[in-house]
Formats: sequence, structure tokens, C-alpha cells
Amino acid sequence: MSILVMNGLVNGVIVGGIYAMLGLSLSLLYGVLRVVNFAHGELVIGGSFFAYFLFAAIGLPPLASVPLAALSFFAFGWVAYYLLIPRLSRSDDPEIMSFLLMYGFSIALAATMLLMFGADSRSIDYSFEPVSVAIGPVYVSTARFYALGVTAAITALMGWFLFRTLPGKALRAAQMNREAIQIVGVNIVRLSALAFSIAFGIAGLTGVLISLVFPAFNPFSGAEYSIIGFIVIVLGGLGNPIGALVAGVFYGVAEQMASVFLPQALAQIVGFAILVGTILLRPTGLFGWRAMR
Amino acid sequence: MAHATPSLSAADRERGERIYRRIAALLAVAVTLYFLLVPVLGLNIAFHFYMMLWITMASAFNVSSGFSGYMPFGYVAFYGVGAFTTAILVKKLGVAVLFALPLSGIAGVLLSLLFAPTLRLSGIYFAIVSLALAGICRLTISNLPEEITGGSFGIQLGSRAEPLQAFYLMMAVMAVALATIYWLSRSRLGKALRAVRDDAEAADMMGVNVGWVRLQGWMIAAFFPAVCGGVEAWYTNVVDTETAFNTLVTAKTVIYAVAGGLGTVTGPVLGAIAMSWLDELVWRRFPLINLLILGVATMLLVLFLPRGIVGTLLRARPQWRRYIP
Repeated sequence: MSILVMNGLVNGVIVGGIYAMLGLSLSLLYGVLRVVNFAHGELVIGGSFFAYFLFAAIGLPPLASVPLAALSFFAFGWVAYYLLIPRLSRSDDPEIMSFLLMYGFSIALAATMLLMFGADSRSIDYSFEPVSVAIGPVYVSTARFYALGVTAAITALMGWFLFRTLPGKALRAAQMNREAIQIVGVNIVRLSALAFSIAFGIAGLTGVLISLVFPAFNPFSGAEYSIIGFIVIVLGGLGNPIGALVAGVFYGVAEQMASVFLPQALAQIVGFAILVGTILLRPTGLFGWRAMR
Repeated sequence: MAHATPSLSAADRERGERIYRRIAALLAVAVTLYFLLVPVLGLNIAFHFYMMLWITMASAFNVSSGFSGYMPFGYVAFYGVGAFTTAILVKKLGVAVLFALPLSGIAGVLLSLLFAPTLRLSGIYFAIVSLALAGICRLTISNLPEEITGGSFGIQLGSRAEPLQAFYLMMAVMAVALATIYWLSRSRLGKALRAVRDDAEAADMMGVNVGWVRLQGWMIAAFFPAVCGGVEAWYTNVVDTETAFNTLVTAKTVIYAVAGGLGTVTGPVLGAIAMSWLDELVWRRFPLINLLILGVATMLLVLFLPRGIVGTLLRARPQWRRYIP
């Protein structure tokens, strides 16, 4: 295997880990609340600016921003849930209206970041020692290496939470049957608020990782990540967190491979084409897990 | 079940029909007069040009979202393709603008046929795919050879319209669009579309050709934004992928249509007029936070007025449904 392919593979897994985080949080939201979060990309970029601001203001290294971003965005999500979502269920078509609501939210978030930080592309001017590490024959930047470590840790943590703790099991149950879980006495409003906040928290820390992995971000790069998130959750089967994790890594590898073998512009189209193709050919996602979850 | 709903007497129905027609005629005259008076009274041509553009866009969007139940969040695709079709026809092939515009509309319809397979999706899936398809259109056009689409500089049409000419042209397009949608709301096709939207299986049982009806609605919804894109290209004299495929076009269209109320003829018109004025009178004064206000307004709209102006009115006074187009 040529070094180029190896390189694409390793970077695909790293980038894919980020996409998996996008997918994980989005699918949690969709699964529990039937809300497709159009504003997810903007939230993520909000996390990037969060780390940027802390580094610029008090010199906090990005990795230390990860837990801070997760907690702050978790709290933000809790507030946003009670402000936005309860009213939504009164409308005729809550699912599509939630899409529109989050559309407005995304515009508002992007505009806020534009006002606070300006339209220029930013990057965090922080470098690790050593600058790069070797994974087999491939050298990757230390920042990317740490990002991979964080995504792996978050995946493990979320796996433990979803499969081993009571609230986590309740979340999965709510994805399977929202009505039945209320019969057994779960407070669906608080559970939804929890899912919403966790999704926000993951979005925030994903943003910090993005500031490590990708060269730059600006208030309007959010839309790109929203769309990648949509692609990932559709590939994984809407509302299926495990599917989203696998699909995220798969998509990351596919994207990096495409950028090795295809011109830049075509590589972008490949992502959209994968999305459209999947929805048209396999609406339950690549793995068809939705039916059996 | 014969007496489940009190059936209206023939005289009653005729009276309702008369009032309905009268209101429709009154509104048509009012809108026409208003826009005809704009140049006479020396009001802001550009502002009203865009108001008519948004009325047309929102009304056409309503055919898809209100009548058929599809929310194309990549609606800008039709607009952008229309703009580029006009620009290419006028600039590269020397076609007269008046011929280029209907051809742009046809380009929009062809694109809608290309997207037709997505009609078997529904709800959120359709919205997401539509968004992705708009992205594909933008990327495809920006990667075509520079001789055709002008690359990142875009295309200068080189035959700049007199603002007033473009104004009247936009007015004509709006009139055709509104007439079409008025006709549609009264026609068999319109009824079939609503029936399919509410319950496709039941409509199928009643002998409605579900696929064909949906496709017709979809083609109508695609035709007008493409023409709008063409007129706007002629008006501003320049087309590039950044502005022609700007997601804000979709955002404004959706928001204006929802503000007025989906599913009625008058809703998107009122919504577009109200929001354009709101934009002009209030938001323009704060150019810096304009975008922020647009976002917050969208959220407030969804939370507090999800059925829009007309929809809320009709919910409070359901008996008026017979009278309001």
C-alpha cells in the first residue's frame, strides 16, 4: 500500500472521529426529540471560538478547553431546550417546524459570532511539542493525534453512559418508543432536556477538536459541518447513535480517500452524492439497523 | 354519516363563491395598483422590485410546501440555475432576455425532473436531500469550465436592464405566478395535491394518480424561482455562484412564506409584503445586526406564529376559509 493511501486512511480515521462526534450528537437529538438540528454546525464553530477566545484571553491550551466547552455548552443546551422546544410541540408539524426553528437558530448563532469575532478565518496559534508523531509509517500532527484520543475517550464514555447507566438506557428507550417509556414512568421532558444538553455539550467539544484538526474556522463554516453531520446520521440510519459513529468514521475515510484520488471540488461532491444515493437507495441507512434497533 | 357535516345549501355555496371571487379580485386589483403606482409616485424601485421577487418566490414555494407538503430547503437551486441559464443564454449565445427567461423557467423544470426521485421521500429526509442537491448544483456550476460559467468572477451580462424595464418584467412574472397559483388552488390539480398531502393512500384509493400529481406540483414550484433568478440576473447584470446559490435566498423565501401562512394563496403574498416592509423600516436601520434579527425573527415566528398571519386568522375564524383565497 502506498504511503499516500496509508496517509489518507489515518487522517480519514482522525477526521472521521470528528464526524462521528457530529453524528453521535445529532442522532441523539433526532432519536429522542425528533429534532434535526440545523444549527449544529454553528454550535460546533461556537465551540471553536470558545477555545479560541480562552486561548487568546488567558492562554488556556485547547485541550484544557475541551471539558470546559462541554460543560458550558451542556448548560447552554439546558437553557435553550426550555426556551425553544416545549412550545414547538404545539405546532401542526413539529418535525419540519423544528427544522425551520433550528434554521433560524443557526442564522442567529452565525450572526452573533460574526458580530463578536468578525468574518475573518481564525485559527488557534498553539503548537504541541513535538509537532508531529508517527503512527506506523505515517506522520500526523500531534494536535490531530490528541483529537483522535479525545474522540475515542468520548466514544467510550458515551458508550458506557448509553449502555450502562439508567439515564443512558432511558435515552435509548426513548429513541425506540417515545410513548411506551412514558408509561413506565419516565419524565420525558427532563429526559429530552438531557438529550438536548448532551448533544450541545458534544457539539461544543467537537468545536474545540475542529480547531485542532482543521486549519481554520470562521462564523460561516458551520453550515458545512451541519451538512456533514446530516450525511453521517443519514448514513448511520436516523436516530441510531452507534450507526452514526460507524458512519462518521466511514465518511471521514471516504472523504480523505476521495481527496487523495480526486480533485478537491469533486471530493466535495462525492459527499453529497453519498448522501443522496444513500437516501434514495437505502433510506434506513447503510447498515439498515433502524428497523432492528 | 350523511349529516355529519351540515351541508351548505346551493344558494349559500353560491354566495360564498361570490364573496371568494370578489375578495380575490379586490386583492388582485389592490396589489396591481400598488405596484403600478410605485414608478408614478417615485417610490423606491429597487425595494419594490425585490418585494415582488419575494412575493413570487414565496408563492411558488407555497405550491411545494403548502399544497404538496414538501419542504425543499434547497429551493435556491432552482433560483441559481435559472440565473445562470439566463446569463449564459444572454451573454454567450446572444439570446434576447425575453426569450431567455421562459427558457430559464424550463431549465428549472428540467432540474425538478432530475430531482423528481426525491419526491418519494418525505418530511425531514426530503428537506435534507434537497439541501444537499442545492449544494451539488452550486459545486457543479462553480466547477464547470470558465468559458461557460465564468468561474469565480461570474458572468457579466453586459446588457444592463433599465431598472424600470426589469421592474415591469418582474411585475409580469409575479402576475403570472399569482394567477397560476390562484388557478391551481381552485383546480382539480390543486384539490388532488392537497388530498395527496393529507393522505396519499386515501387519495390513491379515490383514483388520484399520486405520482403524477406530485410531479406536476413540483414542476410548478420549480418554474417560477428559476424565472425569478433570471430576472434578478438581468436586473443586477451579474451572476456568480456565491450570490446565485446563497442559502439566504432559501431562508428568506421560506420565512416569508411561513410568515404569511402556507397553504393559502394570499398567505405568502401578505407574508412577503409584511416582512419586506419590516425589513425596510426596522431592520435596515441596524445593518450590523440585520442577520441576527433575521434569525431571531425566524425563531419567534416558528414559536409564536407557526401558521403565519393568514393561517392564524383562519384558525380563529374557520368559517372564513370559504371566502379567503
